[in-house]
Amino acid sequence: MSKEELSYDKAFEELQQIVRDMEEGEIGVDELSVKVKRASELIKICKTKLSSTEEDVSKILKGLE
Amino acid sequence: MAKVVIFTFSVNHPPDSSFCLSLNFMSDKQIFTLQKVVASIKKTIDDRYSQTYWVKAEMHKLNRFPSGHCFPELAEKKDGKTVAQISGTIWKTVMDRVNTSFLKIAKEPVKEGSTMLFLVKITFSEIYGLSLHILDIDPNYSLGELQREKEETLKRLAKENLLNRNQQLKFPLLPKRIAVISAYTSKGLSDFMQVLQANEYGYSFYTHLFPAALQGDIASASIRKQLNRILTVKQYFDAVVIVRGGGGEVGLTCYNDYELCAAIANFPLPVLTGIGHSTNLTVAEMIAYTNGITPTELAEMFIRSFHEFAVPVEDAQKTIVRLSKRLLEETDEKLGHAQKLFLTIVKGAFSGHQKLLKETEVDLLKAYQDSKSERSTEIKLAIGRLVREAHFLLQNNKQSLNHLREKLKPNTERTLMRFEEKIALLAHNVELLSPQMVLKRGYSITRANGKVISKDNTVKKGDKIITFTHELEIESTVDCGESVRVESEE
Repeated sequence: MSKEELSYDKAFEELQQIVRDMEEGEIGVDELSVKVKRASELIKICKTKLSSTEEDVSKILKGLE
Repeated sequence: MAKVVIFTFSVNHPPDSSFCLSLNFMSDKQIFTLQKVVASIKKTIDDRYSQTYWVKAEMHKLNRFPSGHCFPELAEKKDGKTVAQISGTIWKTVMDRVNTSFLKIAKEPVKEGSTMLFLVKITFSEIYGLSLHILDIDPNYSLGELQREKEETLKRLAKENLLNRNQQLKFPLLPKRIAVISAYTSKGLSDFMQVLQANEYGYSFYTHLFPAALQGDIASASIRKQLNRILTVKQYFDAVVIVRGGGGEVGLTCYNDYELCAAIANFPLPVLTGIGHSTNLTVAEMIAYTNGITPTELAEMFIRSFHEFAVPVEDAQKTIVRLSKRLLEETDEKLGHAQKLFLTIVKGAFSGHQKLLKETEVDLLKAYQDSKSERSTEIKLAIGRLVREAHFLLQNNKQSLNHLREKLKPNTERTLMRFEEKIALLAHNVELLSPQMVLKRGYSITRANGKVISKDNTVKKGDKIITFTHELEIESTVDCGESVRVESEE
């Protein structure tokens, strides 16, 4: 799944799931680096969503006609 | 025409006696001037309706003229049908006063299409005909009327189960894309945008303005039209806001309009209001997903919802870091324990083996020493034997030597005597043979050129020779011939 396709809802949910798994001790050392890497990607996605503008105005205006 | 009017009036109000009289003479073709008829009507009406009356009627149209005077159409409807209608007159001064009191009390200007309570005097103008001269409009009645309309809207929405419809929608986690219904010039719009854009956290919102009239009679239809436009592009938006402000707290009864409220309630996106008034909530504000009261507060709510997203993300980040660290530390600790345990076991095993080794070494040494001492005893014995043996041999040899020495002594002395005698004889012989002794016995030695004359040292005539005797040295010169070889006697 590419970064563009992942909505912040899903990114946020996945991030929360990783945190829950970690809190419940369901992530071992073997998985840790993979999970932490994924989490950092998700955090980046979420943070980018907060500060980026991605909408295409012309698309919207076209839809209005 | 005049006849019709008169007839109409005659149904409801019996004409006065003078007028009846005139009618009685119709057959004689008594002719009246129009002015007289109209004057008669006026007189009749003035006499009959000398008082003022409170009349409840719907003001269909205000018909305000540029002069400021208004000529509203008043009507009464029953079951949607007009059952009474008459025109009215409001002079500018009255209209201004009424408007002021309406704005003050009902928070609404005098509004077309609503039922109001009018203080009227029934007048008849010779030129303009019959009308209701409006002297006042009761704002409190209108207020009650507005309240009743609002309640009706609420009742109807409740009946249709629309009151919570919009509020039951799921609010997006991150309401980034906002469809804004407002007016270009609205202070509320600029307040809203200013707060969104100036947020210090760098949150970015996308907004698109859908311009609409925000107050008065036209607002409901105008806003609904924009809601319909948004509906066609709803996938590009997370929420709709209706913001308004800076226009005072009047003209907001449109937000109690059933059609508008139903459209908001049924809208598939959350609709948030910030229409900026602080007294009674309008129905639209009540049924909206959220009412932000003012556009500024509404914008701050959006920023808060970004916060509510951002903070858990931050928290998640911190938690992940913390838990990862802890997991690594715990694992490290476990590993450390295992390592220690392993070391202890290894050390134990090692020292066990070492001890065993030492014991073996001691045993070995002891065994070695035991065997060594055994052997040394043997050696000692051997040495003893050897010494004794050697001693014995020495003793034996000593005895043999002594014996030999004893035997050797006389022999030696004898041999020595014989050697001494022999040597003395030899010495005498040697003495006899010495040149002096030979010369003494008469022999001489002749030398030529320093050497004894021999076959290798011959002499010829004229050579000088020296002859040595026992006592003399005779120098001579050879005179004759040759030296003759002498045969040796031996």
